[in-house]
Amino acid sequence: MAKPNSFLIIEPLEHYLSYGSCVLHEVVQANRRSGQTIIELVGEEANPENVKNNLQTLDVGTVVGVGHGNVNVYTVECTEELVRSENAEQLSLFKGRIVQLNSCLTAQVLGPALIAAGAVAYVGSREPFWLYAAEEACASRAVRSGFLAEYEFTASLLRGATAGQARADQLKRYEQEINYWLTGEGKNHPNAAEVMRILEMNLDVSTFLGDETATPTTPARKIMAIPILLVGFVFVGAVLYKGMR
Amino acid sequence: MTRELVESWFNKLSIVERDLPLLIVSGIAYTPRTTLNEVKRGTALGKHLQALIEKKSFGTNQIEEQTLAKMRLRDILIREPEKPMFVTIQGVAPRAYTPKQLLTEIDANSKIGRQWTNNEISHMRRVLAVR
Repeated sequence: MAKPNSFLIIEPLEHYLSYGSCVLHEVVQANRRSGQTIIELVGEEANPENVKNNLQTLDVGTVVGVGHGNVNVYTVECTEELVRSENAEQLSLFKGRIVQLNSCLTAQVLGPALIAAGAVAYVGSREPFWLYAAEEACASRAVRSGFLAEYEFTASLLRGATAGQARADQLKRYEQEINYWLTGEGKNHPNAAEVMRILEMNLDVSTFLGDETATPTTPARKIMAIPILLVGFVFVGAVLYKGMR
Repeated sequence: MTRELVESWFNKLSIVERDLPLLIVSGIAYTPRTTLNEVKRGTALGKHLQALIEKKSFGTNQIEEQTLAKMRLRDILIREPEKPMFVTIQGVAPRAYTPKQLLTEIDANSKIGRQWTNNEISHMRRVLAVR
């Protein structure tokens, strides 16, 4: 697998993609941990060449992107093509990585092709992914809700979960968001009916492929071990120093 | 299920759901609000509707289910302002639907329309399962 603790986040803005990208940015910032390398490519930075260069030079363990898609293709900013299932060179960019493509239809052909080409795990949609755009991007819970559920997979990976645990967390978050609008605090919101239906459809077509045991981050206990070792060295040093006096 | 449980079920539902047709008896569609009123009055219809809730059944065949789902979606979408608000992130030509455009897809039984109609049937089951 590629470098652990490293994430490439693709956040295009055009053609309604700002609705997803603004939530993805929030989710990444809220869940990132010390010791992680996180590259966010926003707007024009999320062009095919730049994404490709970052994938090759940084060798990140996890790639997450929102973009327009079809059964065999995923696109980035301005619907420019990044990867197509028939292109082995493009597919190889994702080898050894956990991949979340928040896009329409890619789970039909592109997702399986990525796994066949060596991607560790894949999450995406096998039918259209819907978003609710009655207000500006990120303006309210109603327009953010669908993406909060979808990106719980990324949030959970950032917190140190395995791909399988992250998938379970994502499905749980979908149910929580649906219940928020159906019987919870949001039930009397004027747009509750539309938002919960979009959540239900996106949940229904959500697809996970690959290795559930894959972990994108080094377990926290290894990081915790560093200060303990430092304290140990100081203690031993102090004892030796005292002995020499 | 007692009358109180039907009342509790009704109270848990969102305001919109309370007035959407959900149950069918003898070809007539009833909303949760009408159902609760009939149950409170202790009518034969109320007992029938209560039994459907207990069984988590709409009281329909498959064709009626589709019709019921479309009726519900019409009731929801017709309230909305006519502006693009339902978007799919699909292909090189992203599509944003106004409520009327989406209703046209639903009525035409297009692939997009079927996705919404089939989801509505699942949603109706979810509403009936609220306890």
